[in-house]
Amino acid sequence: MNYTDILSSKFEPETTGTTIMAVIYDGGLIIGADSRTSSGQFVADRCADKIDYVHDRIFCLRSGSAADTQIIAKYVRYYIDAHAQELGRLPAVATAANLFRNFLYEYKDSLSAAIIVAGWDPYKGPQIFTLPLGGSVIEQKWSIGGSGSTFIWGFCDSNYKENMTLQEARAFVLHAVAHAMYRDGSSGGIIRLLNVTKDKIEREFIDYKDVPVK
Amino acid sequence: MIFNSEISGQQQHTTSPVVTGGSVIALVYNGGVIVGSDTLCSYGSMAAFKNVQKIVQISQNTIYASSGEYSDFQQVVKELAKIDRSALQYDDGVHPSPKDYGNFLARLSYKKRCKINPLYLQNVIAGFHNKERYLALVDIYGTYLESNFITTGFASYFCKAIISNYWNENCTLEQAKQVIRECFKVLFCRDCRAHDVIQLAYVDEQGTHIEEPERVETKWDFNGFKSRANEKLHTQ
Repeated sequence: MNYTDILSSKFEPETTGTTIMAVIYDGGLIIGADSRTSSGQFVADRCADKIDYVHDRIFCLRSGSAADTQIIAKYVRYYIDAHAQELGRLPAVATAANLFRNFLYEYKDSLSAAIIVAGWDPYKGPQIFTLPLGGSVIEQKWSIGGSGSTFIWGFCDSNYKENMTLQEARAFVLHAVAHAMYRDGSSGGIIRLLNVTKDKIEREFIDYKDVPVK
Repeated sequence: MIFNSEISGQQQHTTSPVVTGGSVIALVYNGGVIVGSDTLCSYGSMAAFKNVQKIVQISQNTIYASSGEYSDFQQVVKELAKIDRSALQYDDGVHPSPKDYGNFLARLSYKKRCKINPLYLQNVIAGFHNKERYLALVDIYGTYLESNFITTGFASYFCKAIISNYWNENCTLEQAKQVIRECFKVLFCRDCRAHDVIQLAYVDEQGTHIEEPERVETKWDFNGFKSRANEKLHTQ
């Protein structure tokens, strides 16, 4: 009995055709994402939140199959919660990244999931880990992902600078995600930004009318 | 090369690489073994990750590098690290030798090959133990070959000639480094998935040394290259 035949003939699996981005600046990191979840050509959710809570200072950005990434994030959230309880202090971002990695690597043949893990910990400060399809883990100072990212590699390569200020990093992420949404049919809607620092988390909602490139 | 086994209904073990690392070149020299690789991981045709360290120290006198699927490389590093830890349980002060690592990796690769679920890698293990140089290749099927020089990936096509002509097994460290740099220059010119920033690492009696990444100098300003743009075939 081949279940995949039934599924593929009726409708496309729901994916986060997406633009996701994280950038480290001097003092923290900025995370940005669009808000479109598509099911083939249909926009299933036009105000999705792709910035998932993993722990108080650890977030993940999901791209690929929405079902796959949601359930993996749920497991990792649970594992990190238990781990943090036992540890008695903030967990390392690398720990969360490794837990995601174990899923993506062990089940690489069945999953369609690419994840960016971004956060702050008291041991190494702000960190970003990119986990592409096969289950590798690569630490970077900035990372873009999702279908929309293909359109902004040039923009990001030329505009990224080390040790940006908060304002510069925020503008960089905002414009990059906006440019990706401008050209990628699978990205769109509003932009969600998140500023992660040692002291606080600041969420920002950029309404459609305030998106810089339309 | 894509492995595809249709075991319908059950778990399918298909493995085609997603994030891939480029060629690795390794040579013995008078007093040790040196390994070189570039610092790029490609995502298909895209040069996605440009500052990646693909040569890793496994133990005091062993280094490991590979070309192929990067997540499998990271997994092998974890597996090899377990060996030294579990050897501690014997509490006899004996540490695994480079050959122990090479042999383990060969058996692991063969086991996975038999299940049609390979580690998508060409592995290089290099070490220096009991005043003996050690260099081995373990390929995707688990074939184990000890040799004085090893090339993986595209380098096997382009670099063996350079190595044969400019290297011998008793050359100095500097000479060996130069040969590897020359090889990567050629690879950068002729391999689409190569990068001109490389990293060298060597093992000798003192232990392992992993150097900082360096950019190889390639020459593009040949007159023949420049004047082609102004070819006088079309005059208007």
